[in-house]
Amino acid sequence: MHMANELLSVPVAAGTFAIASLGLGLVCRKVKEAATTDQLGLMGILGAFVFSAQMINLPLPGLPGTSGHLIGAVLLAILLGPHAGALIVSSIVIVQCLLFQDGGLLALGCNMINMALVPAYLGYALYRLILHQATDTWRFNLAVMTAALITVLVSAILVPIQTAVSGVLTLPFRTFVWTMVSVHLVIGLMEGLITIAVLAYVKQIKPDILSLNQKSTCDNRSRLLVATLAIFTLLLCAVFSLYASDKPDGLEWSYAERPEQPEFQSVVLPHEQADTVETLQSKYTLLPAYTKRPTPIGHINAQDVALSRGWTSFAGVMGALTTMIVIWGVAWCLRKKRATA
Amino acid sequence: MHHAHIDKFAYQDSPIHRLDPRAKLAVTLFGTLAIASLPRFSPDLAFYTWLGPFALLVLGRIPLRFAAKHIAWTLPFVLVLALTSLWYDKTPTTILFGPLLWQSTLGWLKCLTLTAKFIGSMLALIALISTTRFSDLLMVLQRWHVPEILVIQLGFLYRYIFVLIDKAHHTVRARTTRTLKRLAPKQELRIGTAMIGSVLIQSLDTSTRITQAMQARGFVGQWHSPKQFDMKRGDWLFLGLATLYIGMLMYLSHLVGSVNSVRPT
Repeated sequence: MHMANELLSVPVAAGTFAIASLGLGLVCRKVKEAATTDQLGLMGILGAFVFSAQMINLPLPGLPGTSGHLIGAVLLAILLGPHAGALIVSSIVIVQCLLFQDGGLLALGCNMINMALVPAYLGYALYRLILHQATDTWRFNLAVMTAALITVLVSAILVPIQTAVSGVLTLPFRTFVWTMVSVHLVIGLMEGLITIAVLAYVKQIKPDILSLNQKSTCDNRSRLLVATLAIFTLLLCAVFSLYASDKPDGLEWSYAERPEQPEFQSVVLPHEQADTVETLQSKYTLLPAYTKRPTPIGHINAQDVALSRGWTSFAGVMGALTTMIVIWGVAWCLRKKRATA
Repeated sequence: MHHAHIDKFAYQDSPIHRLDPRAKLAVTLFGTLAIASLPRFSPDLAFYTWLGPFALLVLGRIPLRFAAKHIAWTLPFVLVLALTSLWYDKTPTTILFGPLLWQSTLGWLKCLTLTAKFIGSMLALIALISTTRFSDLLMVLQRWHVPEILVIQLGFLYRYIFVLIDKAHHTVRARTTRTLKRLAPKQELRIGTAMIGSVLIQSLDTSTRITQAMQARGFVGQWHSPKQFDMKRGDWLFLGLATLYIGMLMYLSHLVGSVNSVRPT
């Protein structure tokens, strides 16, 4: 579910980064109020635990060839409370991005929202809402399962929404949503089953662990707030997926495709396009000598869009390649020299 | 511990390793921002973004195979999404590349651009991480007023991640050596959860021991480091060159962007 930088536009990346930082800032304040030195160590280790548990890929039943892994936000939120859960998963996402290059640096905001902030709070709210004061196993299992399943699905829906708003992918929004939802339905069920089973195992072996969260259990008012937020998020997702358009965005409509006008030819008008390429050629020249040769731009018909800029881009790519080879060669020679010296 | 190799290059010594971590982090952030804002149909421009990180990797003496391996691990998800543009955008276009001229679709341009941008930003991140120690990055974050508790959490996570990954691997290996065939999903799930459960119990035990040991040595919830950062002449030179390079990329992308968004009249 980790998103890469390239699936987002800069405004969306910046916006989500700002929202995530604000959220994380608030979470940090909450945790700092409650956490003792004992808990700091425990949080670090539990983070490392979820990190390593994410490495155990289990084959997805019914979907041969694919595998899924635990996300763990719900598990942590149930064990340590939503604030600590959100903080721990955020730190996991940051380390995954920095150390393992899993998820982009700019997409960090999106990834923190999708995998840490929303799942921890939404999952915890659903868990509390269903469990309430009950203690029976049946209700506990139902609460955990619902929390895990719904949070995984909501996170899966958030990814296409963010890419659709960015307008980077050509993949139609609905197709993307349905693919994500269908795959993550199975992953969500797995997440639910694993969370239930792990908690049952823990209950059996070390029952005191499940009471870790007693201190940070939300009081009624904040529970109401969290529940409202949760329902709001769900509604937003549902409504958004119903009304969101999978038509081309304004820029694409302007020159690439117009579904409602089949006769529309996807063009940039010939002379205009040639003009811009001409001006570009005079301005955008890394190695002007290479661009002197006559280019066949003049022969292109009206239907064509010559987006690649002929000799200039050729010269650029060749220049970049040569530079890379030179850098590598020089470094290699220097290293040899040092080794023999 | 076979995961130690993930950031073992950060402990080498080279001119790039000696640069101020603040400069490196800032340049990586702005570089990534520049890469993300490049036009969507310019594979050639996206390719130029490889140049800077490549130079850093080579000068920092990071094996290129290491970078390539990391990129190969994370490429599939982006590649799947990039390849869909081949199906959904079949607008014909003529591609001019030096002496070559061929018919293609905008989908191809988009797919190539997306992949090239992805590799560019990955190279930048790998260049940062494999030439900078994680503890130094944490100190930078602390300097930049990132909440202390987050920095502490990241520090703890980083310290124990490799120990626990190793434990998880032991568990997985133990299970693999005792398995002759894949079982029914229900049994697989039961075994999987037992494995995860035992890793959880082990980590809780470890945490108790570690916290006690740290408290015995005077840990009260604060990170200290004797490290002093100061920007030397080399750091300023690096910042200048990087700004020039990123600025050039932005200028080119501005020029190309004006072609990409030409409206038909």
